[in-house]
Amino acid sequence: MAEIPDRISPLDGLFEPGDFGAVTNSPGVEYSQRLCGALVQVQAWPGTTGKVEAVLKQVLGLPVPKARLAHMKDETILMSTGPGRWLVDDEMEGLEEKLRKALPSDLGALTGLTHARVVISVSGEKAEWVLSSGIAMDFHVNAFPGGGVQLGHHHEIGVTIHRLGANHFELYAFTSLAHGLWHWLTHAGAEVGYRVT
Amino acid sequence: MSGFRLKAAETGGKALHFTFDGKSFVGREGDTLASALMANGVSIVGRSFKYHRPRGIFTAGSEEPSALVTLRSGGRHEPNVRATEIELYEGLEARSQNRWPSVRFDLMAVNQLAGKAFSAGFYYKTFMGPRRAGHKATQFWYFCEQFIRRAAGLGKGATSADPDTYSRMNAWCDVLVIGAGAAGIAAAGRAASAGARVIMCDERARGGGSLTGAPELLDGQPAAEWASDAMEELAELDNVTILTRTTVQSMFDGDTYLAVERVNDHRDEPKRHQPRQRAWTIRAASTVIATGAIERPIVFAGNDRPGVMLADAARRYAVEYGVAPGRAVAVFTNNDTGWLAARDMARAGVIVSAIVDVRADVQDDVRKAGEESRAEIFLGAAITGTRGWQELQGAHVRDFHEVSNTLGGKKRFIGCDCIAVSGGWSPAFHLTSQQGGKPQWDAELQAFLPGEASANWFGAGAMAGKFGLRNAFRTGEEAAVRALTQAGFGEGESSVPVIEGDAIDYAPAPVLEINSPGKSFVDLQHDVTADDVRLAHREGFVSVEHLKRYTTLGMATDQGKTSNVTGLAIMAQTRDMSIPEVGTTRFRPPYTPVALATLAGEQYGHLSTVRRTPMHDWHVANGAHMYANGPWLRPESYNAPGETVEQAYIREARKVRESVGLVDVSTLGKIDVQGPDAAEFLNRIYSNGFAKLPVGKARYGLMLREDGFLFDDGTTWRLDEHRFLMTTTTAGAGHVMEHLEYHRDVVWPDLKVALTSVSDEWAGVAVAGPKSRQVLAACVTKCDVSNEALPFMGVRTGEIVGIPVWIARLSFSGEMAYEVYCGANWGQALWDALMAAGEKHDIVPYGLEALSTLRIEKGHVAGPELNGRTTPGDLGLQGMVSSKKNFVGAVLNNRPAMQAEDRLQLVAIRSIDGQRIIGGSHLVKGTKDEPGLSEGHTTSTCFSPALNAYISLALLERGRARFGEKMYATNPVRDSHVAVEVINPHMVDPKGARMHG
Repeated sequence: MAEIPDRISPLDGLFEPGDFGAVTNSPGVEYSQRLCGALVQVQAWPGTTGKVEAVLKQVLGLPVPKARLAHMKDETILMSTGPGRWLVDDEMEGLEEKLRKALPSDLGALTGLTHARVVISVSGEKAEWVLSSGIAMDFHVNAFPGGGVQLGHHHEIGVTIHRLGANHFELYAFTSLAHGLWHWLTHAGAEVGYRVT
Repeated sequence: MSGFRLKAAETGGKALHFTFDGKSFVGREGDTLASALMANGVSIVGRSFKYHRPRGIFTAGSEEPSALVTLRSGGRHEPNVRATEIELYEGLEARSQNRWPSVRFDLMAVNQLAGKAFSAGFYYKTFMGPRRAGHKATQFWYFCEQFIRRAAGLGKGATSADPDTYSRMNAWCDVLVIGAGAAGIAAAGRAASAGARVIMCDERARGGGSLTGAPELLDGQPAAEWASDAMEELAELDNVTILTRTTVQSMFDGDTYLAVERVNDHRDEPKRHQPRQRAWTIRAASTVIATGAIERPIVFAGNDRPGVMLADAARRYAVEYGVAPGRAVAVFTNNDTGWLAARDMARAGVIVSAIVDVRADVQDDVRKAGEESRAEIFLGAAITGTRGWQELQGAHVRDFHEVSNTLGGKKRFIGCDCIAVSGGWSPAFHLTSQQGGKPQWDAELQAFLPGEASANWFGAGAMAGKFGLRNAFRTGEEAAVRALTQAGFGEGESSVPVIEGDAIDYAPAPVLEINSPGKSFVDLQHDVTADDVRLAHREGFVSVEHLKRYTTLGMATDQGKTSNVTGLAIMAQTRDMSIPEVGTTRFRPPYTPVALATLAGEQYGHLSTVRRTPMHDWHVANGAHMYANGPWLRPESYNAPGETVEQAYIREARKVRESVGLVDVSTLGKIDVQGPDAAEFLNRIYSNGFAKLPVGKARYGLMLREDGFLFDDGTTWRLDEHRFLMTTTTAGAGHVMEHLEYHRDVVWPDLKVALTSVSDEWAGVAVAGPKSRQVLAACVTKCDVSNEALPFMGVRTGEIVGIPVWIARLSFSGEMAYEVYCGANWGQALWDALMAAGEKHDIVPYGLEALSTLRIEKGHVAGPELNGRTTPGDLGLQGMVSSKKNFVGAVLNNRPAMQAEDRLQLVAIRSIDGQRIIGGSHLVKGTKDEPGLSEGHTTSTCFSPALNAYISLALLERGRARFGEKMYATNPVRDSHVAVEVINPHMVDPKGARMHG
């Protein structure tokens, strides 16, 4: 049996570690990227939300978050992305099959998006400033608290944003558009200085 | 005007060197270009638009109509920048505009001799002529036009690329405060004290507004110091963001504002990594508009000479910049503020030679201010004309009766090189006007006020017609309280300072023009005179909107900030009406000119949105010329060295027909359709049946719009009982998704169907050609790809080099072909594996052009045929329109007109004599000279290696009944007229043996 090739991130070749832009003592933002082991979208039908939540709780061992919030445990992030809709990010592969077994199609739908997104981490004192420069979203902690999830876009590039802390965000970027989003982040980050790790 | 640096300011600030028209000067830190030029005695800064009259500095702010200069050079060359706003920096390079050879000696000033010809409506009278060919008068004007256009104008645009970057910022706040003068500071302070998120913007480099030069004491402190301290205190608050050098340009629906921050315009070039300007989009829960008021002139003969300027501007140059606007300044006013300007200038060391007031009398404290200035006082008098040419030498004064608006007495000459004019104040409500706020006339203030709020804004200070510092602080706080309530906050705390100083009446006498012989300019920027306004009236332009367009009054870069009300006053007098009866025009955004680059921001060039497939880098590395297909970049062809695109695509297409080729189809739209009702949903969406599509099979489907026309096509694969993968055209994916979501959410909300775009999840590769099965068989595991196990339109899973794949046996090319999909992150590995497997068959990658050639040869339709105006019947696909079920577009597709025999129908044409058929050609029966009516047109054109001829798909009236007919494909624009034969569009393998084999 052939060994499965490594997955290639759409940003490979662009991510050059180092400090760039107006870095003096420390950079305003730090960027890193990762591929999800598994990324699955779960959708309930009208009237089945409670049952789907129970399945998610049972399979993931996580309480289901309220609207626009995420819960994390170990290597799993469960994000509420809309009424009766969730995104599950798991570091381990095989989540889609596990959930598909537990969730019959009369309760809801599962869509694998593991290859459809690349996750870009944006952290640092100027993270909010950099993101605000391209994404029309109120990033103030009162409007978008830690643990929050928002769907936004940078021009035509849709992006799901998970705020992990005051100055730490993860952007779930579309694979085909990640190149453009990354270029924008480097452009926007240059003013405050950015570090790629 | 012979301005100079006042003694007291001679040593203040760092010296800064700059050039104007190539001549070197020295200014001081804190100067604007205008104040620095004035300090160096430069009086002529530019030439006027039409007449090329010498023009000087008229204001001290963004309302400047005259002192427009070109700044910097090369890619940073920028015309029409207001000298009054340019902060001086070391090495600044500025040039005057609209003159030849120099600003002091401009040969184009000869235009003044033809003054009558250049009157109102000149443009319309001159350039509106018959366009008939050979018409001599028209030809003459076309000849003249180029010279006339060259003679007029406002600077020249840059011709080289701008090296700077521009940025954007999105911001939200509870209270937006526009203007950091007294009212703005009061509002921001009050709003901040309630805990609201506050953004305060001001167009100047420092906040304070009129406080920076005000003579009053605030809490015992000089006003400027108090303002500086107050701004610092605000800046230290966590909930306050202060944006200076930031002009709020536009107010939009939903309490959204566009503000432009001039981040680096006060430097010779932007700091490294910083943008030149930043466009802020601010969404405010509520807004306090404290934009102040703009002083306006009184119109009189010769009022455009360099040296005539607004009184408050003259005062500011003296008090704030330490520059005397002239050796002897005469003040001409219809209100008290002119007197205070005279007094403040005198206090700063300026010689004020005269105060001329149209009013017969003034209050004692105002008279006292005049006495302090030691000027000669003329009450009940008016300036009727000026003397001088390039320099103002003096003014003629006569008695004036303000009620009857008549002149009397003897003309008297007063020597002066600066006339500081005040005709009252116009509140700056441009933003509210942009949103449709209807201004209301205040007869006492002789000014329009902003009127009722049309959005969540509250006016404060002079903008709301509340003049004076006491009013500014009071109304600033009042507006803040209302804004806080609107935003859901408490009232906050008051902190109005104790104010010691003037308390004057801002109401002017209703005199805005002194009607005397000579050119009296209303709009300095567009050279519109009082006579032009009257001429427009005589020629029948009675609407204020028509007046504006006919005379161009209030147009151009200043948008009539200093001229609108005076123009209206003259119009009102001419029509024997009141100003409010005449009405006013609506201000348009932006408030001041904005560079297009600032609006474009980073969505330009390499930062514009582009979608790339996982194999993009491979394509580029292997000679692909990438081509935009919607937002995607796709290989057009893989050109060998020295090969043209045509040679390359012919080679690639030929190889596919002979052996095998590989094409990246990752760009196809892919939609995951899931749920218990997914099959029923698709059955309603597509015109052909999908309810009974077996699992493991794909079907080509047609989608119609509600109006019965074709919308999109593609194959949909049934992956399991309740799960389908729909593919769409590359460019149509977004529209199809919207179409599906609309019908799912609005039309059939009872269906349990989930729709998710998975275009980015899957990389797709089509393997096409007679050897395609052998290529797959060499690399696929866990899947039998034989004809029996994987028949035409079959869908199976398998593995290639361990990568899980979906394989669908589909053909766009007409050859035996397969589409292989895998997770996008493995796309390159899949491509490499297929290329390796096909090596012994000389597999070639092929691009869009070859893909298109193959499908044209086969007669398969694509985007050019699905053009929004064709029906299934037009394209020979009526058999795919079910008559047994209902679907989107079914009813309207059955209209008689949609089924008419004389509609344009899909055919192919073939060049008879080997000439190339040009895309976009029309099908005609006539010769090149007399082609006759178009009976159809080409849609997709190529050279066919299979037919060894130029061919094209085309839409032709009654086309299917005309196979064998000889016609011409004509394209007069490209000088092409090609003899063609109409043929069946299924040109290659019409029975499908190749793809079914």
